[in-house]
Amino acid sequence: MSITLDQITKRYRGAPVVNDVSVDIGDGEFFVLLGPSGSGKSTLLRAIAGLTGVDHGRISLHGRDVTHVAARARGVGLVFQNYALFRHMTVADNIEFALRVRRMRASARRERRRELLRLVALEGMDNRLPVELSGGQQQRVAVARALAHKPEVLLLDEPFGALDAKIREELRRTIREVQRELGITTILVTHDQEEAFALADRIGIMNLGRLLELGRPEDLYARPATRFVATFLGAANLVLAQHTARGICIGGDPVMALGSTTAPGGRDHEVVAVMRPEDIEIAPSRDELRSSFLGLGTVEQLLFVGANERLRVRLNNAASAGHVVTSADSNASEALLEITRTQHDRRNYPVNAGQCVTLGVRRLHVLATPLSSFTACASSAPQAQAISEEPLLVQLATRMKTRVSTRVEPAMQQAATEAAAAPFAGVAVINTDPGAGQTVQWLLQHGAEAVLLLPHNAVSPVRVLIHWLDEPSRRATLAVSASMLRHVSAEAVYIGILADDGEAARPDGLRALLDARSEAQAVHGLEIRTELGYGDVAEELTRRLAEMPEQLLILGVSDISVLTERFAALLSRTASPLLVVWQPGDPPQQA
Amino acid sequence: MAREAVGKGTFSQPSVLPGFGLTFGFTTFFLSAIVLIPLAALVSMAASSNWNAFVHTVLSERALASYRLSFGASAVAASINLVFGFILAWTLVRYDFPGRKFIDALIDLPFALPTAVSGIALTTVFAQTGFLGRYLALAGIKVAYTWIGVTIALTLIGMPFLVRTVQPALAEVQRDLEDAAEILGANRFYIFRRIILPTVLPAMLTGFALAFARGVGEYGSVIFIAGNLPFKTEITPVLIVIRLEEYDYHGAAALGCVMLSISFLGLWAINYLQHWGRRRSTATRR
Repeated sequence: MSITLDQITKRYRGAPVVNDVSVDIGDGEFFVLLGPSGSGKSTLLRAIAGLTGVDHGRISLHGRDVTHVAARARGVGLVFQNYALFRHMTVADNIEFALRVRRMRASARRERRRELLRLVALEGMDNRLPVELSGGQQQRVAVARALAHKPEVLLLDEPFGALDAKIREELRRTIREVQRELGITTILVTHDQEEAFALADRIGIMNLGRLLELGRPEDLYARPATRFVATFLGAANLVLAQHTARGICIGGDPVMALGSTTAPGGRDHEVVAVMRPEDIEIAPSRDELRSSFLGLGTVEQLLFVGANERLRVRLNNAASAGHVVTSADSNASEALLEITRTQHDRRNYPVNAGQCVTLGVRRLHVLATPLSSFTACASSAPQAQAISEEPLLVQLATRMKTRVSTRVEPAMQQAATEAAAAPFAGVAVINTDPGAGQTVQWLLQHGAEAVLLLPHNAVSPVRVLIHWLDEPSRRATLAVSASMLRHVSAEAVYIGILADDGEAARPDGLRALLDARSEAQAVHGLEIRTELGYGDVAEELTRRLAEMPEQLLILGVSDISVLTERFAALLSRTASPLLVVWQPGDPPQQA
Repeated sequence: MAREAVGKGTFSQPSVLPGFGLTFGFTTFFLSAIVLIPLAALVSMAASSNWNAFVHTVLSERALASYRLSFGASAVAASINLVFGFILAWTLVRYDFPGRKFIDALIDLPFALPTAVSGIALTTVFAQTGFLGRYLALAGIKVAYTWIGVTIALTLIGMPFLVRTVQPALAEVQRDLEDAAEILGANRFYIFRRIILPTVLPAMLTGFALAFARGVGEYGSVIFIAGNLPFKTEITPVLIVIRLEEYDYHGAAALGCVMLSISFLGLWAINYLQHWGRRRSTATRR
């Protein structure tokens, strides 16, 4: 491996800017770190270069641990967004800087300089000053300068940021050619997905300091694992759907499209389905559809964009499907699907705004995320409304690009005895109150996959504590934790708790700890820290939550009777948000 | 549209200030009224005395000693400021610490203080019974009423010039440049010598020239701490005042002319040096 990052964490004023990033980059690979501004990608690049220290983790270049090696001794080349050329030196002096530092002979320097200038197509520019060059030429000089000392790794920090479109494309091609010719391992940081697609062998997508997903561009586009990646890479329609035994249902009808897998036995699940705009088909009637039927829709808007036509279509049965989010307007609650089709399709079936059409979908991708939507539940409407406006909930929903609906459920107060009007789906959200234990239990029994207990005005967490009470709930808890952690800028800590007297249980406890960590890593690509506690589980968790307010506890259970017994006190008094995940214990529930 | 834009461009003023003719007129007028004419009067006054008297005044032992002290102490003071003013500016630009703003404001104080006040203050501190002078006396160093005292007074007076000229130049040195140099393998000293220094050197020279010029002309703060012993701690401005008190206007004018010429030569030399330095590092070719 050329570059190995192992659990890199960098904090700024306590909050992680780069959060447990691990990645291996192969020899000669062109790796692109893609993310919105503030996602920590530049900080990570500076850490690899050695300009920023890391708080945790190891960096190896070609098998050499360089975590504590000074930047000048790491053997990397770095190209800055603003070129950072030495303005008082000529192009030649700039390029030879690294060679002069190394006391190379003048003739050897000159030869190397010629070679580099040829590489970046700037022959004969030796005696110019940087101010006499255009932006594109300056950046070429910067690339040549970064390569002068034959670094083993080339790092590029938004190198095209300050250039106009045409120059950008030209320089992009040059950099790709240079990279191929030298076979140098390269990391490029950018916020431009088009750039990433054009250059990358592999893309790593960062958001909120975490490396969310990693893979070849085409794989990430076709099969994103998270909402963020689905909408950040190209346009996408995210639709809430039901994963049932019959298939994926959007608004009642099963859409048996390619890519949908069979539902895991037992309960129906709410899932998030991704449809790319080019995968949605429109036709005059269901018979003429060449793909699986999605529903009927009304054309709202038509837009011509060169080779393609862009349409926005309202899904008529979306009332029950609920929510459509496209990457264009991430917060629109209206169920508008974005569709693109070729001019060829447009000629075959021209449509006008207001026209009713039949929609089909060629490909449908279901996200693995267990957190699909939030439902604010309370026994009265104003209360439910208040919960749905809690800052932390709004923040989570915005980041997850999902919906917060409200639901008034008078039966909630009596709990246990009465049934709900309709089953719940996704995550139910309630306020902390003395009877919370019972309410949580009741909600879980009526279809909610998890319950978020939200104290009033809870703050965004910087630490997420994870604990599951019994083995059956482990998988679901880890999945929910992974999903949650992608959307908050926080560190994950698994708390293993051993009974005080259990000297004998100690090895088991430690094994559980290690298992938890390796499973989180293997299945979800999630780095978690582990800590060991002793004594009663509820007391230990209460104590840890009391340490600071900016925490969130994810608690996995399979036997929900404990919620009203051992955990009643914790649930009713918590000052930190608490997410209860329920994975029903197997045999009795299956029936 | 296009024609209209062209028309507008022709009639609009290229700059917010009125045109070249007017500004150049003001420039010549002010320079003449405030600098050139008084100086010319000085020269003509010196020239109207007889040549022997002129040479006698200007080359007398006492006058020569005073030149040496005036220009020597100014040069030493400006050199001290060159080093420590740079460090001060560096600290103020590069580090953020509690009280930074306060210290920044303190820098300008020597500008605002009447120079006589700083002279008295320095004498109080550095006199043999003074706060610092006491300990220096123990070490056998006598500050007040020696050339060291003169130098200290001139250092104090010149310090803001260095700091204030170097500060903005240092602030302009981009951190990225240092990062780039470091990644290319340069150590800190090399980065300082090859990246930072070339960028701020012109500003440092300007500051040096200003501090030096200010030192040569300084009078108020020096007279108290120097003690004004002829041949020893008498600076040229003091000698000029003494001549004036003796109603020897021609002598005073003659000494003034010498100061004027040496100062002018010195400043011109520094400017030339700066220009030459810039050309050598090729930064003027744009």
